[in-house]
Amino acid sequence: MTISRRQLLKYGFKIGASAAALGALPRPLYVDLGDGGLEAVPPIESERIRELAFRAVEAARDAGAAYADVRLTHTRMRRITATGDIGDEEQVAVGVRALVAGRWGFASSPMWSRDEVARLGREAAYQAKSAAVGPAYEVVLADVPVVHDEHWTMPVEVDPFEVSPFEIADYLAALTNVVSRFPGHRSDVASANFYVQEKAFASSAGSYCTQRLYRTEGELSLAFEGVRRRLDALTPAGMGWELFAGQQLREEIRRLMDELEEDAKLPVKPVEVGRYEVVCDAISVATLLESTLGTATQLDRVLGFEANASGTSYFSDPLAMLGSHQVGVPALTLTANRNERGAAGTVRWDDEGVESEEFTLVRDGILADFQTTRESASWLAEYYRGTGRAVRSHGCAVAPSALEIPLQHVPNLRLAAGPDDLDFDSAIAGVKSGLAVRGLVVDVDFQGGAGLGRSGLVYEIKGGQRVARVVGAGFLFRSAELWKDVVALGGHGSVQRFGMMARKGEPAQATYHSVAAPPVVFGQFTVIDPTRKA
Amino acid sequence: MIGRSLHDGRILSPDDCRALLRRVHALAEGGGDTAIRVSSWWHGELRWARNQIRTLSDRRDVRLTVIRTVRNGRDGAVTTNQLDDASLEAAVRAAERQSRMGAKIGRGVGFYPQFPHYEPFPNAAIWSDATFEAAALARAEVARRMIAHAEAQGMLSAGYLEVRAAMTATLGTEFPELRTGEHAFWEQPYVRWTQAQGSMTVRNAAGTGSGWAGLSSYDWRRLESASGALAERAVQKCVASQDPVALEPGRYTVILEPQAVADLMEPLIQSFNREPPEMGLTSPWRLAYDEALGLWRTKLGMKVVDERITISHDPADPDQGIVMHPLDLPEPVTWIERGVLKNLGHDWATEVEKLKGWHAVRGADAYRMSGGDTSLDEMIRTTRRGLLVTRFSNVAVLDGESLLSTGLTRDGLWLIENGQITKAVKNFRFTESPLFVLNHIEQLGEPVPVFRPTKREGDRLRPAIVPPVKARDFSFTSVIDAI
Repeated sequence: MTISRRQLLKYGFKIGASAAALGALPRPLYVDLGDGGLEAVPPIESERIRELAFRAVEAARDAGAAYADVRLTHTRMRRITATGDIGDEEQVAVGVRALVAGRWGFASSPMWSRDEVARLGREAAYQAKSAAVGPAYEVVLADVPVVHDEHWTMPVEVDPFEVSPFEIADYLAALTNVVSRFPGHRSDVASANFYVQEKAFASSAGSYCTQRLYRTEGELSLAFEGVRRRLDALTPAGMGWELFAGQQLREEIRRLMDELEEDAKLPVKPVEVGRYEVVCDAISVATLLESTLGTATQLDRVLGFEANASGTSYFSDPLAMLGSHQVGVPALTLTANRNERGAAGTVRWDDEGVESEEFTLVRDGILADFQTTRESASWLAEYYRGTGRAVRSHGCAVAPSALEIPLQHVPNLRLAAGPDDLDFDSAIAGVKSGLAVRGLVVDVDFQGGAGLGRSGLVYEIKGGQRVARVVGAGFLFRSAELWKDVVALGGHGSVQRFGMMARKGEPAQATYHSVAAPPVVFGQFTVIDPTRKA
Repeated sequence: MIGRSLHDGRILSPDDCRALLRRVHALAEGGGDTAIRVSSWWHGELRWARNQIRTLSDRRDVRLTVIRTVRNGRDGAVTTNQLDDASLEAAVRAAERQSRMGAKIGRGVGFYPQFPHYEPFPNAAIWSDATFEAAALARAEVARRMIAHAEAQGMLSAGYLEVRAAMTATLGTEFPELRTGEHAFWEQPYVRWTQAQGSMTVRNAAGTGSGWAGLSSYDWRRLESASGALAERAVQKCVASQDPVALEPGRYTVILEPQAVADLMEPLIQSFNREPPEMGLTSPWRLAYDEALGLWRTKLGMKVVDERITISHDPADPDQGIVMHPLDLPEPVTWIERGVLKNLGHDWATEVEKLKGWHAVRGADAYRMSGGDTSLDEMIRTTRRGLLVTRFSNVAVLDGESLLSTGLTRDGLWLIENGQITKAVKNFRFTESPLFVLNHIEQLGEPVPVFRPTKREGDRLRPAIVPPVKARDFSFTSVIDAI
């Protein structure tokens, strides 16, 4: 999906003019890096940022840290709506993490200066030492190769901050006009969010790396005669402006409008409680994955490190379950990564300097691995050694910015497609009697073990045809049974990827990742009326 | 003491704040309106898990938003966290450029009407030096003592202690003479506040039992002195909740501990707003459309819940201190009085004629729910068959009109038979409305402060004082295995 200059011009973007407009917008961030006065925040590759970073690490080491690392982040956010509202925010932050006698200390602030980073290094070590009451505790960090002064820029076609915000507002207004020209069709105000973060990481092991990461997302909902659809094509992605300009959005909107009109013609009937074969569209499957296996394979949750916050896991004994516990049908293979091009959770290195790689959480229906950081990977050392694998982190340490301490967060997830050339429509055609659902919203318990799904768009299927729209259906499931009940997985062509946000930790942190999945046919869902009381 | 604390740079002092606002204001060029809002926060945090202190942290940030509106321009807003002259000047220039680019005819200076200016409520209990001075070592010591309770019973605990301070201020309230428009609805004089929170989850090694306790207050000393009791409660709940049995879903008499009541009431508390029902939008307080008058009628003045229930807020109560807004009348507000809906919060823009003045009525940010004199033990003793609920999790509204909600019980659910707690019960998903519960009350206990901290950095305080409630016919719809 490369965008040519001609395509951009077709959409009304004049690259030269936009760059000029940007040049005229002052940037509200200056820092004092010790060269005698204030200067604009330098590019993250700057040698002076490297010096700051190691100064912080050394201060922590001098104060007694066995291990220390530092992140410096420079984050820029822009929100634009079709009505022309523009919000600009820019932030720099620095955070130092220090390990002393098995306890972590962390200190962060919004100032990049030589004195401040040294203070934070000392403060982080002091915080860790303050924790040293009670018995000693051993933290083992899985080995990681030293990264020697490398830089990575996330590949994007068009830096969204190089496009004039006023042109973007016009573009969004034009999208809503596509809808409002047609009687009966409505849309909410379209909006776009852009985010770019430059990040430097240094550790006391000598690693140093810098990255420039992008995230873009948009929101537009359509409605026709009481049926609503969201434009799924604009969920968060590790992309630039091409998330909008690189897709045929007008055609996609017209297609959704046609589908809405078709849906509105169907008779409406209230839910009949019972057990049904159910076809879930790709985003419903992605949401189910995220809230069940994506939640339960977080190793810190499994071992109780999130017990007082987001919760624990329905996988109770990782060492006993790995390699043998059946979590789904043999056709079920779930991989994870943080290096997939265009995904919302993609980086080159995580917040511990671990290079991203793909790993397999569920292989052929069997639990194969967990999401880990350098510390939590060592908790599985016995399993890894027993299977002849190196004990290494899967690179899932993330924090929204340097103000927050890195935690293990969900990486990008990808459910392998089935062998047949099956998509949502052909899956429906193969169902004699059942339901089909779009855009399931899932509320899962604090172990990811059981949940309730709801959706505004549920079809009744008879003889492979959509015959009615069902309102008020609730889909009750137990995760342990759900993935063993997969009848068919959509084929390669039906896999779609969606960006999602997840929260965990105390204080809560929100981070982004993508989930890619095909539509899935489930053998039996318990369908209830969630508003019916006992 | 306060002076020294405020000048160590963790949050902006009043003097620094005023100097900063002046500095930014002087940077504006080309006339029009200038609005500036500044806030800063500091957090001291501690997390533990598996009975080990894991992380102590010390964090801070500052945020300055400048909004420039040149003549006929739209609002141009830019936010930064750097407070040097160069950064601030660049922020002002960027906001001015945004403002000019979106220029519209007919909007500009003098956009706001004349607002009254109430003095902030004096002596509101929102700042505690003890919270601001609670050092990392003091937090670690409290955590250590709480962990010891779990260790003594051979249980695993995880928990979180946090102290924080924050401030915010706007240009026009600090320097009325620099105000270009009239006093705007969002202006806020310099105000600072603290919050302390602590919570603890205790589980057995097999993961078949779980207990929880928590408390939030502006004052660290309250948390510190309650910490032993909190830890003991969480441990006892874990011990007593082990190896639960599954009960049939159905309707049960429930004894809801104060935390469970607060968790269940949250959607109700959030609903005390006047605009949605008056605009005909979904709200429990929308009554019907009046064809003759051409407007939506609300349930104001009608009896909506049991007459034993009063939901109110008094800013003078030391357990209910909140950060007040200058357009809020600095007086107590009662939303529900003896079961009758008396007030709904509204903002400054709601029609003047109805409200006799440009002021807002607060929504229920903080609240107190009236109670009774039945102790929890008495409630249990007088129950033939029922369930005792520690707290609810994942509460989500299914229907905005009736507030019918679904959610889960968590960290301790027990069966009561013939006045005795007889066994631990597996968690349930419920389908129930807080309004239904408040219309099926059997007994009420003494209201106590519960765990209701602000979440995001820099957010305002939201304390709640809530009684335990015994109610009949509470609807549990399915069993869940999660513990």
